[in-house]
Amino acid sequence: MSAYDVMPDMELFQPVTVEDAAALAERLGSRGWVLAGGQDTYGWLKDRAKHPKAMVDLSSIDVLNGIEETDGGGVKIGAMTTLREVSRDQLIRARYGLLAAAAARVASPQIRNQGTLGGNVSQDTRCWYYRRGLSCYRAGGNICYADSPEGMNREHAIFGASRCVAVSPSDTATALVALDATMVIQNTRGVHRVAAGDFFVGPAVNITRMTVLRPGDILTAIELPADWAHAEYYFEKVADRNVWDFALVSIAAAFRTENGTIRDARLVCGAVSCVPRRLTSVERAVIGKPRNDSTGEAVAALASEGARPLNYNHFKAPLMDNLVRRALRA
Amino acid sequence: MSYLHIGKNFTPPDIHGKVTGKARYAEDYSVDGMVYARLYTSPMPHARVVEIDADEALAMEGVFGILTAEDVYPTEAPAPTLLTNEPVYVGDPIFAIAAIDEKTAEDALKKVRVKLEPLPFSVDPVTSLKPDGPSARLEGNIYPREMRSLHWSAEDVERFVTGREPTGPAPSEWSYGDLEAGFDNAALILEESFVTTGYAHMSMEPRSVLSYWQNGRCHVHGSTQSQSFVVPFLARMLGIEQKDLVFVAEYCGGGFGSKISAYPVLAIPGYFSKKLGRPVMLRITREEEYYVGSARVGFQGWIKAGFTREGRVSAVDLYIVQDLGSQQAGGDASSAGGAISILYQPDAMRLRDVPVLTNTTPRGPQRGPGQNQIAAIFEPMMDKAARELGLDPVAIRRLNAPDSSATLNANQGPVTSAYMKEALDRGAELFGWSERIKKSGQRNGSKVTGIGVGQGYHSAGANGFDGLVRITPDGRIHLHSGVGNLGTYSYAATTRAAAEALKCNWENCIVHHGSTEENLPWSSYQAGSNTTFTHTRANYVAAEDAIRKMKLIAAQVLGGTPDQYDIADERVFDIGNAARSLTYGEVAAKAVELGGEFSGETWPEDIHEVTQRAVQGIAGTGLIGVAKDNLPVRGTVPGLTVGFIEIELDLETGKHEIVDFLAVAECGTVLHPLGLAGQLRGGAVWGFGMAGLERHVYDPQNGLPANVGYYQTRPPTYLDIPAHMEWSAVDIADPDNPVGSRGVGEPAMGSATAALMCALSDALGGHLFNRTPVTPDVVVNHVSGQGQSHGPLATNTF
Amino acid sequence: MNVNLSRRRFIKGVIASSAAAASSAAWYSAAADDRPAGTVERLVVLNVNGRKRPVDVLPQETLAFTLRYKLGLTGTKLGCNRGECGACTVLVDDINHYACSMLTHSVRGRAVTTVEGLQDASGALHPVQQAFIDELAPQCGYCTPGQIMSAVALLRENSEPTRQEVREALSGNLCRCGAYDHYLNAVMTASKRMRARGQIT
Repeated sequence: MSAYDVMPDMELFQPVTVEDAAALAERLGSRGWVLAGGQDTYGWLKDRAKHPKAMVDLSSIDVLNGIEETDGGGVKIGAMTTLREVSRDQLIRARYGLLAAAAARVASPQIRNQGTLGGNVSQDTRCWYYRRGLSCYRAGGNICYADSPEGMNREHAIFGASRCVAVSPSDTATALVALDATMVIQNTRGVHRVAAGDFFVGPAVNITRMTVLRPGDILTAIELPADWAHAEYYFEKVADRNVWDFALVSIAAAFRTENGTIRDARLVCGAVSCVPRRLTSVERAVIGKPRNDSTGEAVAALASEGARPLNYNHFKAPLMDNLVRRALRA
Repeated sequence: MSYLHIGKNFTPPDIHGKVTGKARYAEDYSVDGMVYARLYTSPMPHARVVEIDADEALAMEGVFGILTAEDVYPTEAPAPTLLTNEPVYVGDPIFAIAAIDEKTAEDALKKVRVKLEPLPFSVDPVTSLKPDGPSARLEGNIYPREMRSLHWSAEDVERFVTGREPTGPAPSEWSYGDLEAGFDNAALILEESFVTTGYAHMSMEPRSVLSYWQNGRCHVHGSTQSQSFVVPFLARMLGIEQKDLVFVAEYCGGGFGSKISAYPVLAIPGYFSKKLGRPVMLRITREEEYYVGSARVGFQGWIKAGFTREGRVSAVDLYIVQDLGSQQAGGDASSAGGAISILYQPDAMRLRDVPVLTNTTPRGPQRGPGQNQIAAIFEPMMDKAARELGLDPVAIRRLNAPDSSATLNANQGPVTSAYMKEALDRGAELFGWSERIKKSGQRNGSKVTGIGVGQGYHSAGANGFDGLVRITPDGRIHLHSGVGNLGTYSYAATTRAAAEALKCNWENCIVHHGSTEENLPWSSYQAGSNTTFTHTRANYVAAEDAIRKMKLIAAQVLGGTPDQYDIADERVFDIGNAARSLTYGEVAAKAVELGGEFSGETWPEDIHEVTQRAVQGIAGTGLIGVAKDNLPVRGTVPGLTVGFIEIELDLETGKHEIVDFLAVAECGTVLHPLGLAGQLRGGAVWGFGMAGLERHVYDPQNGLPANVGYYQTRPPTYLDIPAHMEWSAVDIADPDNPVGSRGVGEPAMGSATAALMCALSDALGGHLFNRTPVTPDVVVNHVSGQGQSHGPLATNTF
Repeated sequence: MNVNLSRRRFIKGVIASSAAAASSAAWYSAAADDRPAGTVERLVVLNVNGRKRPVDVLPQETLAFTLRYKLGLTGTKLGCNRGECGACTVLVDDINHYACSMLTHSVRGRAVTTVEGLQDASGALHPVQQAFIDELAPQCGYCTPGQIMSAVALLRENSEPTRQEVREALSGNLCRCGAYDHYLNAVMTASKRMRARGQIT
C-alpha cells in the first residue's frame, strides 16, 4: 500500500460554456472527471485510487457561478458558487438560513473558499476502506470491508445498507433536502430537474454512485423554492473535531409554523445512511404540535426507529434522537 | 536573583525565517542533478518478500534505479529497518525507486511486481497473548529488551480483559516497599482496568531527506529534534566515519519525540545517492509520515491503589500490557510507574510490564511517554478516591504531592528539588478553585459543567554534555549550540546561560546551530524536556572556561594574578583598579596570539569526539571556552505541572467545550517566559487531543490502518481548544542548575490531559471511562445507557 | 496562442450564445504519446507576488507544486498535500486557499500571494509577520507561513476582528505544536498596530 502523492498525468479541459462541458463529459464518458472546486477530487487522483484520463474543469463557465432570485420568491444558486459565498450571501442568509448554516460548517475556511455547492453535494463517500482504493462493492468488487465481523465502522450507516454501508458525507445535502431544493442537470440532450430528495441514491439503486449524475451530466444549479423561504430552521453537525471532520451525525430541519404550531416540517439527518435521511415519521408526528421541548421529547425516538447499527456505530441512534430533540427545542 | 538574560524574553535568531518563508526545512533544499525517490511500502501487515520484479520499471525513461534491503544497513529484529524483506506493518518500506521527478517515480512504483507471502499478524497485544495467538514477528511477540514469545492461558486472558487482577505472567517487574502492608493499611482500595490509545506523532513537517556525496563526505539535510546527538548514530547507519558526515537540520518542523535521533528514513537517500551517483531527495508524504513517523505506545492495563483514611496513597499495584507496535520500543510502562511513584509518593508500589509487539506502526517516545498515558488514567482515580473519602480534589493531590525530600522510581532515589504543593496552591488561587468547584455538575440545558485538576511529570534534565563558546577579536561572542531546533527555542535560550555568565550584551552574541559545518559541540538529545536543564549547564561551564582563560590572559598582559580580575561590560578588569582592563575583543586577539588552550589548539581530554572536531574547526579564530558539564547532580530532575480546567459537556451530543484552562509550571527558574508559555499551551493542546480526540485504528482482519491522514487521526484544531489559556510558574530555583532552571514541555501535556479526563468524569458524576480518547460516541453511549461499542480493553479501535 | 486572452475575448463576445463549439475550450494535453516537447499550451504567465512569472505547467499540476518546485517559493509548505492542514495556504485574489488543492491552471489571470510576497519594497516585514515575531508565535514554524496568509486574508476584509473571529478565520490551519494561543495573540496585535498606523481602515 504505497502512499502515492503526486497528480498523475491527465488531460485538462477548461470549457467556457455548459454545452461544451456536457459535450466533453459525454465524449470522455467514464474516462472523464467533472471538476468543480476539486476538494473531493485531488485526493482520489493523488492516491491513484481513481484513474480518469481527463478533467473537465467547470471553473471557467461564468453562468455556473452566482446567486440570483427567481420568479416567485425562490433563489437559484449556480453549482460552481463557492461554499464561502453560499454561507455569506445576504439573500441566502435571509431566506434560507439553514443552507447558509450548513455551508458554514463544511470542512474548513479554505475548503469553503474553494469548494462549491455543486461539488459538495456531488462528493463521494468517505468510507475509509473505499477511500483506500480497495476493491469493495462500491469500487466494483464483491466485498464490503466495513460490514464485516470485525470491520471498523464507527462512521458507517445505520440505515439503508445494501451490500455497502457507506454514508453521505455532505453537510449541505441535508439542508437542500430539507429545503426541498431542485437540482438542475444538463447534458447533451438538454436540461432536466430532479428534486434534491431524489438526487441522492443509495446502494440498492446504484452502488457505485452517490447521486443520479451519470457520465455526461453537469449539475448546473440548485433552485430553492419560495415556499420554504424564511422557514424556521435548525442545523447541527456533530463531528469529532469542529474543523475538517465529516459529520458523525448531522441534522437539517426546516419548519413552517403558524401561531406557534408546526404546519409543515422537513427533518433530514446526514451520515446515517448513504443518502440524506428524511425523518418522515418525525415530520408527520410534529405537524400540528408546538415547536418545543415536550414535542421533541415525544417524537425523538421515532428518528432512529428501525436503525440497524453495525459493530461500532450504535451511538448514532441516540445521537439522531437527541438531534431531533434539539431541532424541536430551538 | 537578578539576571541580565535569564527570565527575559528575546528574539530567537531563527524566527525571522519562519515568518518570511526563508527558513529552509530539509525538503526546501534543492541541488543540481537532484533526483527524486519514492518508497514502495507494504500492503500487508506481515509478510515475506519473495520476489521484486522491477525490470519494467527500471526500463522506463527517467527512472534511475532501485534501492532494496540488500543495499542498506542491516539491523536485527526488532530494531527499525531502513528497507526490509520482512515487512511487519502496513506501510513498512520495502524498496525505493528514484526518477527524474516524483511523478515518474510513482509511475515506476506502479510497474514493479512484488510477490509477498503473507505471515501471521496481530494488531492487538491481547490477541497476540492468547494461547495460540499470532506473533508480530518471526522471532516472537514480546520485547522485554530481547525478542521472546509469551502466551497466556485462556483464563489469564479472560481475567485481564474483564478487568480482574491479572494473572498472566509479566516478563518485567519492579517494586519497592511492602505492597501487602500498604494495602492492609488502606481504608479505601480502588481497582480499575484501562486502555489508552497509541496515536501517531504527526509532526507538521514530514521527515523528508536530501542526500548527496561530495569529496567523500555524505551530506544529509534532515528533520531532527537533535543536531549533534544525531551524528554518531547517523554515521553508523550510513557506514561512514563521523567526520565524513555533513548533517544539516537547521529547522525541524515538529518532532514530539519522533525525531530524537537518527531514524531509518534519514539514511535511505544517503545509500541511494551513493548507488546512483546523484543527489537524492526523498519527500515523505503525509501517509508515509503516518507509517514511518512513529506513534505513542498504547496501554492496556490494570491498577489497584490503596488510600489511607486521610487520603494518603499507601500502595499502588500497576500492571501494563504495552503495545509496542512492530519495532523496538517500550520504556513507557516503567516511566508510567515512575510518574506515579513521584506524584503521589506511595509507600509501596509494584509495576508489572508486558511489552508486546503488534503489526502496527512503529512506536517510540511521544511527549511524556508513559507519564502522560498514566496521568490520563490515574488522575481521575485520585478524584474517585477524593469523592469516596470526602476530600477536595486539590487537597488530596496536595496531601500526596512531592516536595524536595521526595523519592521516586524503584530505587527510591532523590530529586534535585520539587515544589508541587506550591504549584497546586498557586493554581488553585489563580483559578479560583474553591469557588469554581462549586460549579461542578451544574446543568445548563443539555450541558453540564465539569471541573478538573490534573498533574504532570517528566524527568527533565541530563548532564555530562559539552558547551562551546568563542570570543572573536571583533568582540563578538559566538555561542555554539549543538541542540536541535525543535521549535521550543531552547537551542538559543540555553545559550543565554553563557551570555549571562559572560555578562555580555545579547546583541553582540551570535548563535551557531543547525549544521555540523557550524562547529557544534556534543549535545544531548533534544527530548525528554531535558534541554533547558542540561544545556544551561553546558553553556555555563563553557562560559566559565572562557572567563578563566580571559583572566589568565589579563594577568599575563596587565600583570598580577588571574584572581585579581573580574568581568563586566564585555571587559576583563582589575578589581582593584577598573581602569586596568582589556576588552573581550582584545583578549580574544591575545588568545589567538597565545594559541594553546586559549585559542582551541588544545582542549580538555574529557570532551566528546564531536566537540573535539568542532574545536578543531574554530581553533585559532578567537578565545575558546569549552568544557564538559561535570557539575554535580544530586537526583532526578523533575519537570512538574498542574492544569486546571472547566468544561461544559453536552450530554446530548457527547461534545465538550473547554471554558477555561490554566497551566502552572514547576520548572525551577523561568528561563524564557514566552517560550515556557508556548510549551505550556502547546502541551495543553496535545493533552486535549489525547483525552478527547486522537486515535489509532486498525482493522484486525487485515491489519489496515484507518487513520493515515490528519482528518482521520484528529489532532486538535483552533476550534477544539479554548480561545485563550492562562499560565503561571512557581519560579523557585533548582539548586543543581547554575541558573536554577529545569524543562517542562512534556508534563505540560500530561497535566492537561489529566485535567480534561477528570473534568469529563466530574461532569458525569464521577464516572470513569478509563480509556483515551473519550470521544463523543463514547459519551453518548454512556449517557444513553446502551453500553460501549468497543470490546473490553480493545485497543487500536474506535 | 495566448489561451487566457482568447478565453476572455470569447466570454465577452458570445457568453449569451448557445452556439459554442468544442474548440472554445482551453485544451491541455499531457498524454505522453502526443505531448509535443515544450508545447506552448503549457507555458502560462502567472501573477505571483505582483510579478509576472512565465512558467511551464502540467495540466494536472497543483499550485503548491508550481510555487515550490517551479518558482522556488518554498515558504509555501506541503504538510499533507490533501487540504487537511493548511501549511500550503496562499492568497488568490486576496482569499486564502490551500495551494495543494487547486490547479495552477485555475489561477491564470488571478493574483497569487505567498508568504514571500508580504514584505514591502524596502524589505520591511508585514505587520502580521512582525507581530508573529514579537509574540513568539511560531514554534516549529512549519505551519507558520500558512497561518500568516490566513491572518493577512482576514485582516484585508476585517480590520478589527474579535479574537473569536480570528480563531474561526484561522481554523483551517492546523498547528501540531499547539501554538494557537500565540498565533491569536499575534493577529490581535497586528490588527491593533495596523489600525493605529492607518494601514487598514
